[in-house]
Amino acid sequence: MASQPMNSSMPPNDTYGGDEIQAIILDAGYSSVRAGFAGEDTPKSFFSSSYGVTGNRTIFSDEDIHNPLLPELEIRNPMSKEGIVEDWDAATQLWEHAITSRLIRTKQGDPRKNGLNDVGGKDGVDVDMDAPDEEEKPLEEHPLLITETAWNTSKNREKAIEIAMENWGVPAFWLARNSVMASFAAGKATALVIDLGASTASVICIHDGLILKKSVQKSPLAGNWVSSQIRSLFGSVDPKVEVTPHFMISSKTPVDAGAPAQATYQKFENKITDSFRASEEERVLTEFKESVVQVYPGPGRLHYPHPVNGILNLENVKMSPGRVFEFPDGSNQMWGVDRMRIVEGLFDEKYALPTSEPPITKAQTIPEMVRASVSAVDVDLRPALLANIVVTGGTTLLQGFTDRLNWEISSLFPSARIKITAAGLTSERRFGSWVGGSILGSLGTFHQMWISRKEYEEFGASVVEKRCK
Amino acid sequence: MTSHDVRDMLDLPQEGAARPIKKQKVAAPRPVLKGLAREVQNLSGDNPIAIVPEGSIFKKRRFASRKPAAKWELRPFRNSARSDDSLILRHWRRLDEKRKLPPQPAGENRDSATQTMEGVVGGEEQMEDSGFAKFNVQVELFDYSPEEYESRLRSEDWTKDETDYLMKMVSQFDLRWPIIWDRYEYEPPIPEQAPSEADGNARAIIVAPKTRSMEDLKARYYAVTATMMVIRKPPIKMNSAEFSLHEVMLNFNPEQEKARKIFAENSFLRTKEEAREEESLLLELKRINARSERFSDERRELYARLDAPSSSSHTNNFTSSVGLGQLLQQLMSMDKSKKQRKSIMGGEGISPAGPSGPTQQNPDHRRESSARESISGPSAPNNKKGPPNPAERRQLSKEEEEMYGVSRHERIGTSGPAFRQEKIFKPLLAKSMNQQKIINNVLTELEIPPRLIMPTADVGESYDGLLTSINNLLDCRKVADKLTAEINIARAQKAERERLARESENAGEGGDVGAGAETVVGTGGKGNSGAPGSVNGTTTTTTTGPGPTNSEPRNEEKAGSPTASVKGVAHKRSASVMSAVSDKSAKRQKK
Repeated sequence: MASQPMNSSMPPNDTYGGDEIQAIILDAGYSSVRAGFAGEDTPKSFFSSSYGVTGNRTIFSDEDIHNPLLPELEIRNPMSKEGIVEDWDAATQLWEHAITSRLIRTKQGDPRKNGLNDVGGKDGVDVDMDAPDEEEKPLEEHPLLITETAWNTSKNREKAIEIAMENWGVPAFWLARNSVMASFAAGKATALVIDLGASTASVICIHDGLILKKSVQKSPLAGNWVSSQIRSLFGSVDPKVEVTPHFMISSKTPVDAGAPAQATYQKFENKITDSFRASEEERVLTEFKESVVQVYPGPGRLHYPHPVNGILNLENVKMSPGRVFEFPDGSNQMWGVDRMRIVEGLFDEKYALPTSEPPITKAQTIPEMVRASVSAVDVDLRPALLANIVVTGGTTLLQGFTDRLNWEISSLFPSARIKITAAGLTSERRFGSWVGGSILGSLGTFHQMWISRKEYEEFGASVVEKRCK
Repeated sequence: MTSHDVRDMLDLPQEGAARPIKKQKVAAPRPVLKGLAREVQNLSGDNPIAIVPEGSIFKKRRFASRKPAAKWELRPFRNSARSDDSLILRHWRRLDEKRKLPPQPAGENRDSATQTMEGVVGGEEQMEDSGFAKFNVQVELFDYSPEEYESRLRSEDWTKDETDYLMKMVSQFDLRWPIIWDRYEYEPPIPEQAPSEADGNARAIIVAPKTRSMEDLKARYYAVTATMMVIRKPPIKMNSAEFSLHEVMLNFNPEQEKARKIFAENSFLRTKEEAREEESLLLELKRINARSERFSDERRELYARLDAPSSSSHTNNFTSSVGLGQLLQQLMSMDKSKKQRKSIMGGEGISPAGPSGPTQQNPDHRRESSARESISGPSAPNNKKGPPNPAERRQLSKEEEEMYGVSRHERIGTSGPAFRQEKIFKPLLAKSMNQQKIINNVLTELEIPPRLIMPTADVGESYDGLLTSINNLLDCRKVADKLTAEINIARAQKAERERLARESENAGEGGDVGAGAETVVGTGGKGNSGAPGSVNGTTTTTTTGPGPTNSEPRNEEKAGSPTASVKGVAHKRSASVMSAVSDKSAKRQKK
């Protein structure tokens, strides 16, 4: 054993300051729940935030919530439109499912008794007969770090620690802001985080790992809003595009572009609920977003003349080839400049497509949020923030988004140096706040921060307000 | 069977000479082809069979040298940086012999589960501390007691409660001012009402929460901390770091900070157009500056050209052939330099980097030297070795001087640095050599060394006094000398006059009168140049008497009577003596 190289005996904690304690990171958003062990680079457990209710059964499986054959399957989401938990019962079950199903499935029994190590007839040396607690809690060995939004209510925060401590029995707990985590994932302690998730877009300034509360800006211009824009576009084009989800299609035959679909539809004996259909339609729209929708990358805005040659940008785009998208029913169509008009409202409220919801305001657009956020912090900090802009969230993966953002911000602050940091890997962009939590949870210096069970018992749930700033 | 045999069978020619070479060739691969029958090998003849030898190039199987796997344990540890000691976290660590052996008998080593359990139990007594606890550093803050607050820290703008709140925020956020300012939400406590005025009117007073700027917070914190630093440790006892910190805190000026931030904000919020405009204005300014510089350069150039070739020297210089030759040279050299100048101006003021040689200088310098030539004649600048390049010693601008800490002092101004001691010799050095000698003589007489041994302020002062009195003494002596000399002259004149009177009484002849008159004229001439007025007056009075009778006797004298001439010589001598005396006095007066 002495011949073993020395470097394997100790993790090199002097170089990156890591010290693993098997902490679990839980990052729950409006569209998905991410959970995994600290120190890993992607979450091992990735679930949709939606859950199904059929009769009085609740379903938390990624497969089952897309099953149309389940009778009267309602799809629900425990999160509010602002990305904070509304339905704590469902959220607790959902999160517990996300953790126990993939990470620590069931608490493994004592290896001397669970039968896995039985070799022949020789069993059980001298087993100490401490009968394990019957009501053993799932997370007793793992510190838990949960992320939250910057606008989380203090009631919600206290509820989170209560659940972690009481229901799951964690030895230590921490609540971290997801924007701070995203900036940690980009390796920055001071950053301007632009986060476009499913339900909410936010712009938040972070200084030394703490959010500046005055700078918090949020708006609904995120993934779900883009979906509503797509629906609005589908309703306005001629002929109208009906989104038919995959589960409705029994078979289809290829048709020419623009031709009506020729497909046979599935018949269901059970009733298909609206929420189920909406959730399935959303999947089609997501596909459309991923493959067609594009942000006009600048320079200039889509509906304005090009700053150099003076031709309307819209006309320029019309000359470039469009993209074809085939819907589940086989109908397909070329999407030209419309694919850019869908998301122009993110930057320019005047050209947002009309929807049933109230029209968006100028203050809700991304550039205005950046402006408001930056002007709410001390002037000495601004250059550092603008030089460290972190872009995170799944909606920022829209093609051309970062280029356009760069153009918008540099025209907002022409005298500042602007640098946008956007992770190249799709997973790092989508799970930015989880990755940051994973980094934080594996740091040796973070051990002193955890709220321990004893502290919770001593001060109650309000300790979270005092500690997690 | 060898190839030789085969050749033999087939009647091929035997190449005796080639054989040994072939044998050698075959000899090389032979040792490689082990295990091959000699006959088979020989069949190949001249071309050896290409057989790749099988070698064991792979490593031996790993399992052959496998040791038992390293054992790891989930070891619990504490973190002493935590405020509570209850949290015990666990991380994986190599199980080392020391820790493993004592609690467990060797036979149970295989069972890793027991080991872990034992490790947990055994570790309780000597649980290790996290290696990261040492990174927990806190900001050092000064606490103040209520009495101290009352006596030293009271402020009109700040209540004690709010100051406490501020200090709490500062320690909570480790002096990160942007965050302190961001999270600062002080709510004044509801004042406890005295029982007498617990009515509605007192309740109506609501203290509006003040919005504090970051500068306000900083100013208050720095004021409190600076005061507390002094209370805890008087400034004399502080070390330099503490003292400078104290100074910085004392000198914090919130107004200046605010002004700076407003300025920074304005420049930050410039729009693109403004930024562009500013840039273009700056460019314009630069261009205007460059143009005016060029213009003034050209003007200077023009003035230099308009200068007369020689303004100071007189035309007399050019009467000789040497002078004319010089003039020609001068004109030629000026012409040359003008030509060069023209070429430089043609190059749009770009400094001539290309041409080299002793005559090549900076345009500025050349212009300067040519101007000098035109005034002072050909001073042969070509022979000058390495003229000081103005670019080498750059003039620092005012900001740069400030930046590099350059300061100028009046007392070192022109002559450069000097010993202060030299100051004391200054009055001495101002005198002439003669006087220096005299003063030194006096000093040696007084047994005072010329260089002070211990030049304290007192000594220097008295030394100064001594020097002044010596000087005074010398001046007195000078005056006395002068007076004595004048008295002597007057005496000599008087004696002369008396002698003349006596002689004229004795002789009473015209020739004598003539001779006397001549002497007087001589004296008068000399006297005019320098003798004192009183002496002059006396001479004139003497002249007036015999004056009218002058012309005739002189002619007679020229005719030459021997007696008169002899007497004249005697007179002349006396006159020369007198003139010598008056010369001296004149010199003295000049001095």
